[in-house]
Amino acid sequence: MASKIYEWLDSRLKLTPLENSLLNEPIPGGASWIYVFGSATLFLFVLQAITGMFLAVYYAPTPDHAYDSIRFIETQVAFGAFVRGLHHWGASAMVTAIGLHMLQVFLYGAYNPPREALWMVGVVLFLITLGFAFTGYLLPWDQNAYWATQVGINMVGTVPVVGDLLVRLLRAGETLGALTLSRFFAVHVLFLPATLALLIMLHLFILRRVGPAGPWRGGRERRTSGESGAGREATAGPGVVERRVRGSETFYPRQVFMDAVVMLGLFFIVAALALTVSFPLTDKADPSDTSFVPVPEWYFLFYYQLLKYVHGPLEPLATWILPGLFFLVLLFWPFLDRNPARHPMARPIALASGAGFLVIVFVLLGISLRDLYAVPRLDPAVAQGKAIYTQFGCAGCHRVHGVGGAVGPDLSYVGDTRPDRDWHSRHFRDPQSVAPGSIMPKFPLNDQQIGDLTSYVLTLKKPT
Amino acid sequence: MSLPDPPQDKDAPGFYTPVGSRRKFFRWVTGAAAAVIGAGLAIPLIGYIFSPAFKRREQSWIEVGNVTDLASGEPKQLDYLQAVQDGWLTTKFHKAVWAIKQADGQVTVFSPLCTHLGCGYRWDDPDRQFKCPCHGSVYDVTGKVLGGPAPRHLDVLPSKVEDGKLFVIYKEFKAGLPNSVEL
Repeated sequence: MASKIYEWLDSRLKLTPLENSLLNEPIPGGASWIYVFGSATLFLFVLQAITGMFLAVYYAPTPDHAYDSIRFIETQVAFGAFVRGLHHWGASAMVTAIGLHMLQVFLYGAYNPPREALWMVGVVLFLITLGFAFTGYLLPWDQNAYWATQVGINMVGTVPVVGDLLVRLLRAGETLGALTLSRFFAVHVLFLPATLALLIMLHLFILRRVGPAGPWRGGRERRTSGESGAGREATAGPGVVERRVRGSETFYPRQVFMDAVVMLGLFFIVAALALTVSFPLTDKADPSDTSFVPVPEWYFLFYYQLLKYVHGPLEPLATWILPGLFFLVLLFWPFLDRNPARHPMARPIALASGAGFLVIVFVLLGISLRDLYAVPRLDPAVAQGKAIYTQFGCAGCHRVHGVGGAVGPDLSYVGDTRPDRDWHSRHFRDPQSVAPGSIMPKFPLNDQQIGDLTSYVLTLKKPT
Repeated sequence: MSLPDPPQDKDAPGFYTPVGSRRKFFRWVTGAAAAVIGAGLAIPLIGYIFSPAFKRREQSWIEVGNVTDLASGEPKQLDYLQAVQDGWLTTKFHKAVWAIKQADGQVTVFSPLCTHLGCGYRWDDPDRQFKCPCHGSVYDVTGKVLGGPAPRHLDVLPSKVEDGKLFVIYKEFKAGLPNSVEL
């Protein structure tokens, strides 16, 4: 049946030559698991596009409804949390896949002539992906979304001369609000996808015109006489530089098979993360709550950490000079690295700069992760104390970061305002003994519980 | 199937496009991977897109007033605000139902819409009749049709009395049918 339909279409649309050119593209050096990252990235983009379309079905891009509509998706829609989870983890996976793809291309020196344009379009695709991450982060309109975007936009403001203009353009005015959200939404779901889709086509078009670079074996690319292809060395001519192709197989079926297996594996990983790791919304965005400290996505954490080290007059260095330089260098890298060699060992400078960059990124990421997860690991009493806080319903009267009642004092920063351990212990034993007139009841806590609860409340501090 | 001898090269083992059963195997795995991913996405996404379409609106008891405010045998229109959940949107609607305390103390609550075409009817006290201003349907104090185009008696809403407070579940019914069909 399917083949009948295919024949019918083929006799009219002449599909066979198209199929040949799509599937029988030669892979120099043969199919390899190292070539899967580009397809993996493309697959994740398609996954993002599909889940994004479905999220848009129930999402409302206005400040008074955005948060509620996401909560609705999370709690009321069948598979809503799963679809949102796929989109969230798919974004992380896509950034990872692009990183690995670029790393592979870099390691293989595949940006060398004649593939400079392929690399440059790839860098722009990477930038657009980061644009997706930035604009998508605001959409849930929770505290983290609001304040992280506030910080991101303010960093743009440090750019000299045009900074102020750019900030106004991003916010659509002086404050982050309804107009910001709707333009971030439009950019995230319309402008960027259209641009990305066009540039992916361009990326693939260039790939098909110049062909894949293949393995680095053989060291330097050799200039060969055009028609004889493999083998004979010829003196360098002004024509096309072609790699010496020794063994070759077509894209289909083995490379397609490898790509498909990796896509399936990725789908399982992203689905498993979506099902098991929740990423709850924080409170609804509150522009007046300046105490909230936003944490960016993990792939921005290294940069977040860098910003902590650079202060004062040097700040513009981190907020725009370094990132700007980085992307310029990345974009024009094929023209900066004029070494024609492709084997990593023959490119010490390129490899050293790439490795140096990765070491810096991962060290900063490591420090940042250590800082973020340091508190619970230090003292098990803190976790115990937090459990007691929940168990005895302390939140019925006390508020911590916007959660809880307003009968008793807000405890968000009680560790700063009252760092005295002894005071808390006595207070938990008998509130009126240290705070005469307090209406807080005496709770039936043993010494261990009082110690744990004290340890917990002392961690409620302003982040340093 | 025989392949032409590959030009062997020590440092570059020749790769050649698989044929025969090897080729079939790669095709089968590729197809299976595509099918698993497709099903893994299609099932949740179909559930996702359909789920609110078949969700019945949750109905809950709403307090509409005190029974002591009702005089026996005298219909009274009770106004109240009802919060209606519309997706992620909570909307407050102003509603009004007719409540009548019977001689035995039971309370009957009528839907405020005429069974003919859904207009709001009024109580005509001198005539002791419910009258619909749209097309002239007339009901007596028990909701029975006395005249006009109304096809059935007034629709009775579920109601209960707890601690002297009257609770109802608001429902709407299809207009124009000889018996009550809930919307």
